[in-house]
Amino acid sequence: MAKLSKKDVLKLARLARIELEPDEINVYIDEINRILTYVEQLKLVDSKDVIPTNQITGLTNIMRSDVIIDYGYNPRSLFKNVPKVRQHQIQVKRMVEL
Amino acid sequence: MPTIGIETHVQLKTKSKLFSGAGNDARGAEPNTLINHVDFGLPGALPVLNQEAIKLACKVAMALKTKPRLFSTFDRKHYFYPDLPMGYQITQYDQPIIIGGQVEFELDSKPKRVGITRAHLEADAGKSTHPAGKDYSLVDLNRAGTPLIEIVSEPDMHSSAEAKAYAYELYLLMCYASVTDGDLYHGNMRFDVNVSVSNNDILGVRSETKNLNSFRAVEKAVDYEIKRQIELIKRGQPIIQETRGWNEAKQITTSLRFKENADDYRYMPDPDLPPIVIDENYVNKVAETLPKLPDFWRSKLFKLGLSKMQIAVLLDANIDFSDCGYLDLIADFANSNLDVKSLTNWLINVDIPLNRESKTQPNIIRFSLYESVIRLIESGKLNSTSAKELVARLLSSEKLPSNIERFAKTSGLLQTNDTDEIETLVDQVIKANPKAVKDVLGGEDKAVGYLIGQVMASSHGQANPEVARTLIMHKLEP
Repeated sequence: MAKLSKKDVLKLARLARIELEPDEINVYIDEINRILTYVEQLKLVDSKDVIPTNQITGLTNIMRSDVIIDYGYNPRSLFKNVPKVRQHQIQVKRMVEL
Repeated sequence: MPTIGIETHVQLKTKSKLFSGAGNDARGAEPNTLINHVDFGLPGALPVLNQEAIKLACKVAMALKTKPRLFSTFDRKHYFYPDLPMGYQITQYDQPIIIGGQVEFELDSKPKRVGITRAHLEADAGKSTHPAGKDYSLVDLNRAGTPLIEIVSEPDMHSSAEAKAYAYELYLLMCYASVTDGDLYHGNMRFDVNVSVSNNDILGVRSETKNLNSFRAVEKAVDYEIKRQIELIKRGQPIIQETRGWNEAKQITTSLRFKENADDYRYMPDPDLPPIVIDENYVNKVAETLPKLPDFWRSKLFKLGLSKMQIAVLLDANIDFSDCGYLDLIADFANSNLDVKSLTNWLINVDIPLNRESKTQPNIIRFSLYESVIRLIESGKLNSTSAKELVARLLSSEKLPSNIERFAKTSGLLQTNDTDEIETLVDQVIKANPKAVKDVLGGEDKAVGYLIGQVMASSHGQANPEVARTLIMHKLEP
């Protein structure tokens, strides 16, 4: 059975840029451990002779010519879902110290 | 001893982005105009690989003296940052398009070889700016999805001078292979330097200073890191493996965010991008389109009698002023059995400096220009002062005159070999300068030069100074 520590959960939270309240940590330890245990069932399968699958389509070399494509919309219409726009740029929390 | 390895990001000069049809030249473009659903990371958008990027990667392999790998794949490298809309970067992890290779150059007349570990294709991130005094940052995604090739060197360098020379040689290689615009000011090439110091055979803990965009910054950042780490060791403090940034104003490196380990990136094969399989035939076809590389030109120009210094200046200027085709011009001159050394002097002393001051027109046919000018000098019709003036005028004209000799004549730049005419001037000058004449008679050679100068001045630079000298010496013979 998978055993995820408090340290592991905090690390995952940091990588995912998610802030956790102290009382949430134990909830997640429990939840993620249950997910891992479920996935662990895969270990029961004998995969000794199976080649790792990276692709399932069997395709190779799907490429396009180097031309600029007009997609038929104003690029800035992509901003519709952006919470804050300033000077045609996406405004985010400051990334470096003031 | 310090040990240095360098990772270089080279922006490839494709017309469109690596995985979408958005325009790729972000220089001068308004923010967020070169974007679409793929680069914006919208759910369901399908990236499709730009075939030109594979072709350019093959050329990179050849410039690095190796061959592209016939099988390569794309992977996702996950991290969260505001300039990375997808939440992962598409890159090549365990099957990159290039493994191995080398960069060779000369430093202080000694050959140096730096091994290449690998080079892989990946998509660039967006660009963020941090307005002064504000509590926010702004993100422009024009650059997101620009094709990059990241070239990872072996830790084969041991001084800042070697690091700088490697970075410069790589710049020459990438520009001559014609895979990048090589515009460092606009970030077309960015260097990350890994530096560690150690007083034994075991490598020390390294720091990585990211995003250096000039050769000088590479040199200075390496110098600073070596000094900083030696200081830490002396004081008995540990060196932390970390990412640092270069502060150009203060000329120091500073600590950036804590570096995530490779397993934190959760690399996985990108299911949207099938593997790339190329064959020898394809590679050979690409090789046929590879332009001449720096070493070809070095050896060719050296055989033509140019010095290493002259060759270095020409190799550099040929990139900055690619429209002028300096190297091809020299090759054409040599093929026509014209005076290559004179041409080289003209290019290095006059043409390139004028170009750096933007005092030349782009469409001037230099072959005809220099062929005519050098012929006029050789035939004694043009002296060096007037020749310089003539070349400057021709280079700044919209179009070369059909007859350069006639143009020089009507511009009053040809020198006169008419002995009678010059003799009249010599007589006037001798009369007007009794002191100098006395000095000449007294055996002072310098005074002859002065008198010739006076003749040149009164002829408005058109007298042949050799004729003037002969006449003066003749007249002042004791």
